[in-house]
Amino acid sequence: MTAGMDCSEVAHAAEFSLVARRNNSLSTTGRFLVFAFLFVVSVGIASAFAALGAWMVLPFAGLEMLVLYLAFRTVDRHAADYERVAIDGDRVEVERHEAGRTQRFEFNRCWARVIASGDGGRLALRSHGRELEIGHYMNDAQRLDLARALKRRLG
Amino acid sequence: MEAAHAHHGHGDHAHHPYGIMRWITTTNHKDIGTLYLVFSLTMFFIGGLLAMGIRLELLEPGMQFWRPEFFNQLTSMHGLIMVFGAIMPAFVGFANWQVPMMIGAPDMAFARMNNWSFWLLPVGATLLVASFFVPGGATAAGWTIYAPLSTQMGPGMDLAIFALHIMGASSIMGSINIITTILNMRAPGMTLMKMPLFVWTWLITAYLLIAVMPVLAGAVTMLLTDRHFGTNFFNAAGGGDPVLFQHVFWFFGHPEVYIMILPGFGIVSQVVPTFSRKPLFGYSSMVYATASIAILSFIVWAHHMFTVGMPAVAQLFFMYATMLIAVPTGVKVFNWIATMWKGSLTFETPMLFACGFIFVFSMGGFTGLVLAITPVDIQLQDTYYVVAHFHYVLVAGSLFALFAGVYFWIPKWTGHMYDELLGKWHFWLSMIFFNITFFPMHFTGLAGLPRRVPDYNMQFADFNFISSIGSFGFGLSQLILVYVVVKCIRGAGEKVSDKVWEGAHGLEWTLPSPPPYHTFETPPVVK
Repeated sequence: MTAGMDCSEVAHAAEFSLVARRNNSLSTTGRFLVFAFLFVVSVGIASAFAALGAWMVLPFAGLEMLVLYLAFRTVDRHAADYERVAIDGDRVEVERHEAGRTQRFEFNRCWARVIASGDGGRLALRSHGRELEIGHYMNDAQRLDLARALKRRLG
Repeated sequence: MEAAHAHHGHGDHAHHPYGIMRWITTTNHKDIGTLYLVFSLTMFFIGGLLAMGIRLELLEPGMQFWRPEFFNQLTSMHGLIMVFGAIMPAFVGFANWQVPMMIGAPDMAFARMNNWSFWLLPVGATLLVASFFVPGGATAAGWTIYAPLSTQMGPGMDLAIFALHIMGASSIMGSINIITTILNMRAPGMTLMKMPLFVWTWLITAYLLIAVMPVLAGAVTMLLTDRHFGTNFFNAAGGGDPVLFQHVFWFFGHPEVYIMILPGFGIVSQVVPTFSRKPLFGYSSMVYATASIAILSFIVWAHHMFTVGMPAVAQLFFMYATMLIAVPTGVKVFNWIATMWKGSLTFETPMLFACGFIFVFSMGGFTGLVLAITPVDIQLQDTYYVVAHFHYVLVAGSLFALFAGVYFWIPKWTGHMYDELLGKWHFWLSMIFFNITFFPMHFTGLAGLPRRVPDYNMQFADFNFISSIGSFGFGLSQLILVYVVVKCIRGAGEKVSDKVWEGAHGLEWTLPSPPPYHTFETPPVVK
């Protein structure tokens, strides 16, 4: 699945908060419409053949729609994926939402260090021998911006 | 040269196994694209070898080399292998390589399913080729496997049925992947009406595949149950209807021929503007024309079976509907020519193949219009005129478009320029030998020579001799392509820059040549 962008600095109760979301060029409505269209066409054709006696087209259309449904469900489950980096008081929080599950990671603001490669290709937080890569849904320039913003506020 | 100058960073690291496991386990769209293309090239030569067998027998009247049963196996398997093994997988290979790079996506939407859809193909192909070696040999019922002929053949027919099932499953998974990738993974700013034409044509092709593949699967399953499980779908003696098979098959079969040409239209629509150094003329009309062709493809199927006996009103409907297809196709040809009009044209090999495509494909289109006329078709049904027509649209159409695409993008894929001189030789020899092979078939067909027959009357001897010589030349000319491609892969040519062609536009030309293993892990912004 894709990585994406659409990241924005949002006003939040926290001192600093940034949410980066996955890139989805198809909206939820769009997904439904595409699936509905393919379903109507494929099952419609199969039903017409079934009515003419060639009913064996129908199970194959059904099987195909099942695979299509599973594919679209997977896309749907990942559509809301995001990563939130926030600084609140003495805590640095990273919240990662993937396929409906949310994971939270916490670092001590005074101890956390920003590890960033010069080109923005890699960005991570490190503390107490633990390292967490962040900036999943960002491009290199956005990762560099985030690295600068974090460095100003940490340590 | 300036290749890869401004590119660095994490994208260059290729974390993948090496050796054979890289290819078996790969989920990378570029690797899978390469696998598809190598597979289809192999099948193209196997199918071509069968064609050489056909033309060898037809070199002279009388029976020289093969038994008639084996000749029928050659024609049937040539068709099946070229359609399902060569042309379709080749276009999927292009989609794998190009679609993610053209829309700014990191990979296909379902990378593991992508691996699975490729690796089903060699299994299907092995079944097809192995069917030559079972008792009774391969299927000899033509690529259309009409019942009741196909319900009577040996185990080779069963292998073909399973092969079609497997290849169909592969196509369905490939289409779902392509649709999801194109619709959900476009880079910000890459709106639908900004997508490159190749991406558009593949989106529409994938819709067609999803609509018709279950129909093929159902048709061949009914054949299978008629053969072995006592059903009577197509058995008139048991209350079935053999004509039903033709309807079911061609309801799949006609969209299928557009599945084999629409991505070709897409490739030509990328190549022509590049070498005309002008934007494509009438972009939106191209999109609508492609969609119109796709929609019309569902209401013309019975033009393949005018002689089967149908009411006059149905004959009229299918005749007019078929003729209607000339309108959107004409729009396309007009737009390509209008793109070239007053352009700053150069004729590198991709452009030569694209121009060759427009010229010969149009001729195939015209003979298609002739065949659309019901009373004419009743005369020409199953003659060499039909063979000439569909080879003009499939060889000089789909295949030439594929060649144009290979020469257009291979410098991007390998990072090395192909041998231009050999490319030009490949084009001119292919073009000349193609016409020597298939143009005389119009005359033999008009004079009544039936297809799928290993022997013929003396009156057809000269034209058949010319056709056979042309086909041998065409077959041999394709070895040039293999040499050129191998040379490029081995890095023998000059290194190329990111934007290989001066007039090229699109996201793939912003990437290094060859592109790193992972590209656009985070999407670019399209303005």
